[in-house]
Amino acid sequence: MAAFVQLVILGLLAGGVYVAVGVGFGLVWGVLNIVNLAHGALVIVGGYITWQLFTAFGLDPFLTLPVDAVALFVLGYALQRGVINRIIRAPLLFTFLLTFGVNLVIVNILLLIFGSDFRSVTPTYSGQGFELGGIVIPYVRLASLGAAILLSAGLAFLLSRTRIGLSIHAIAADRDAAQLVGIDLRHAYAVTYGLGAACAGVAGGLIAMIQAITPTAGEPYTLQAFVVVILGGLGRVSATVVGGLAFGLVEAFGQSIPGSGSVFANAIAFGLMVLVLVTRPQGLMGRLR
Amino acid sequence: MSAAVSPQLELRGVTKRFGGVAAVDGVSFEVAKGDIVGIIGPNGAGKTTLLNCISGTQRLDRGDIRLNGSSIAGISPHRVAKLGIGRTFQIVKPFGSMTVRENAAIGALFGSAQARRGVAGAFALADEVLELVGLRAKADHPVSALTIPDRKRLEVARAVATRPQLLLLDEVMAGLNNVEVDDALDMVRAVHATGVTVLLIEHVMRVIVGVCRRAIVLDFGHVLAQGEPEVVLRDERVIQAYLGERYAKRLKS
Amino acid sequence: MIATAGSQRRWRRIFLVVGAIVAAYALLAPLSSLDAAQSAGIPLLTDKFWFRIATYVVMFVVLATAWNIIGGITGYAAFGNVAFFGIGAYTTGMLIAKAKWPFLVALPLAPVLAALFAALVGLPLLRLRGHYFAVASLGVGVAVGELVQNIDYNGQPVFGGASGLFLPIYAVGHRGLFFFYLMCGAAAVAIAVTWWVLRSRFGYGLIAIRENEDAAAVIGVNTTAYKVAAFALAAALTGLAGGIFSQWNVFINQDNTFPIEYNVQMILMALLGGTGTVFGPAAGALLLQLLIQFLGGSLPISLDIPFVSSEARPIIAQVILGLLLIVVVVFVPRGAIDFFGGRTRLSLAYLRRSLRETSL
Repeated sequence: MAAFVQLVILGLLAGGVYVAVGVGFGLVWGVLNIVNLAHGALVIVGGYITWQLFTAFGLDPFLTLPVDAVALFVLGYALQRGVINRIIRAPLLFTFLLTFGVNLVIVNILLLIFGSDFRSVTPTYSGQGFELGGIVIPYVRLASLGAAILLSAGLAFLLSRTRIGLSIHAIAADRDAAQLVGIDLRHAYAVTYGLGAACAGVAGGLIAMIQAITPTAGEPYTLQAFVVVILGGLGRVSATVVGGLAFGLVEAFGQSIPGSGSVFANAIAFGLMVLVLVTRPQGLMGRLR
Repeated sequence: MSAAVSPQLELRGVTKRFGGVAAVDGVSFEVAKGDIVGIIGPNGAGKTTLLNCISGTQRLDRGDIRLNGSSIAGISPHRVAKLGIGRTFQIVKPFGSMTVRENAAIGALFGSAQARRGVAGAFALADEVLELVGLRAKADHPVSALTIPDRKRLEVARAVATRPQLLLLDEVMAGLNNVEVDDALDMVRAVHATGVTVLLIEHVMRVIVGVCRRAIVLDFGHVLAQGEPEVVLRDERVIQAYLGERYAKRLKS
Repeated sequence: MIATAGSQRRWRRIFLVVGAIVAAYALLAPLSSLDAAQSAGIPLLTDKFWFRIATYVVMFVVLATAWNIIGGITGYAAFGNVAFFGIGAYTTGMLIAKAKWPFLVALPLAPVLAALFAALVGLPLLRLRGHYFAVASLGVGVAVGELVQNIDYNGQPVFGGASGLFLPIYAVGHRGLFFFYLMCGAAAVAIAVTWWVLRSRFGYGLIAIRENEDAAAVIGVNTTAYKVAAFALAAALTGLAGGIFSQWNVFINQDNTFPIEYNVQMILMALLGGTGTVFGPAAGALLLQLLIQFLGGSLPISLDIPFVSSEARPIIAQVILGLLLIVVVVFVPRGAIDFFGGRTRLSLAYLRRSLRETSL
């Protein structure tokens, strides 16, 4: 029983990162209908910004998260406005290929700047934690779960309570009708992608505190974002939160199966994703459209 | 209509629900071989859903559908097509990157047991069918170059090329002007004259009166009335459902 | 109308003649390395290093042509075809390395197993459409790769684990030539299959599914069976290439048999050359793979970028490749095939038009 509780707690803590990785991806997919293969690269860009600020200026990594968000928002806005907007009406294959191309460019530019060494962010409190009922809970993990939930809540608030949020809802529902009521599509699309990128940036900052990063480490996060969004269901931030936590739990339990390595858990997660896709395409929390 | 001969198409208590709402609710009727029958009803009466159930595009929740006496309820669309039921879609679904002839030929490549043939044979049959619906001159045009009435014709041509014994037409006249409706009526008569049983959905009364021998009126998923078009359309309940209560009262007074 | 048809025919003839000359040279030049040719004094037209690159190029001809069957003709954006390549490679690899089967006996099982696997996962996956199918197939591609690397039995990795699988070297004279021609044979099979598909009832059914799946079903196309068959056919050809690769390369692991970038490369090749056509994907494969090798510095003619160290060069090459991908997708969405056959000419107006068509 204690082992079970421990797994649940570990799973939920790990899920925090997946929530952060998933929300931005889900936003871009749900609203713009783009499966963003560059998402993982954006996550890593966020990670490197946090690492750079931490190593160069000794800034507390949690304080760098807003910087990640702003920088990635600008990058995302520019990417969408300058490049991705140009193929919005093309078949889905093209958006796949385009975002893969963007991914390739970002990853290799990072390689040129930072090299392929592993980098990690280790503030004084990293590795420390407190004990709760026989389970050690690391501060960084707990705080990153909190940050991820805060990020999701902020995004949900932005989407439901602000002018730009409502126009994002409108373009998600019907692009052409949104244009008719006077929404500047190019701007709204770019803001949406920018927000997605900002979430990726924050996720990257959190990830840099938990594990070492390298420019090529982003790809798994793109795939995990898929799984998270599909598990939860497309279209709502709250569904992605559930999906992210569920993914963390699946991973924790998958790793606990004797004889399975950490990579094996990945295969279980993907198997689960395919299962969910086939049996319940709207996700655990989604509504049928 | 003798009772000894089983009807070609027979619906018994067909029901289809979406969530809690029954789009089609206990619909029963028969269509005799060689007949031409119209289903009319206001928007949302369940006409297209009914057609979807017959052609297998949607699975019915209750009831039975029989073709020549054997049940076809719940079988997949391609098997329904193979058994000899062809259909068109209200919102046309052409194979966009192909020419008109290729669209029709695909119907002949697959379709019913009478249609299925090799590629060369299919193109020959396609030309015959295009002649029948009046698209022969545009056989080599890409679909994208067709006008709306021609696209509707193509939809019919593709269905006819499957060599069906029963053809389901879903509002092939919708969106056409008067002259175009007349042309389309001629086309439906020509297709019917080849010996195909026709079941068509319309909400243009003129079409029903113009070609149908029998009419079935649907309202809120129920059969409201059926019989000869002229008789059915004078039925008070039908007028009410169609034109509203106020108009019905005015007719009565 | 008539003038266009005429120029179309002329362009197609030019295209075919040029293609045939290139193909003939590529097929015959390697023969000049044979001892008999050397003793007869025929100058060496290629060096042995070229076989490796040429074989890679031809391997991608197979992969792109196979992808075209499910992605181009049937219209299902498969993103996990690399799984079939890996399954083919590991089938042959395991049979040779562990069961000691001879290569040519083990090879036919690669396409069979790949096709069986495709049919099995295809049944549920092909019920999904659009993004969902693309994502799910990508998931399968990744998951299979990880399973192959991580499955243990009694603490021993079944498929060689992270350290990979070594195969005995295949004893045959002129090995490089042998595998080059074997791969060419696979490419010929893939192209012939595509040619047949596009002229058959089966192919028309697949195209009908691509154009409108609902309409295809009501005219009598058994859509599920057709989609699964197309997926399995693509898988068989991809698996065949994988099987040949395993014996040719002698060493296989997760990195060289399940690389995700292969998924993207085969799609890009098909798009470049023109999806849904017989020779398009092959032409695209030739173009893109040569470019990748060129940028990677494997070709004798190489690119010298000033102020860039030799270490940074492959990275710069990747950046260029990414930018190229972006440019192609944004400006030439219908593939290079558009410029042949007289349909269009490459001009500023063309680029502007394709930009406007897809732009927000």
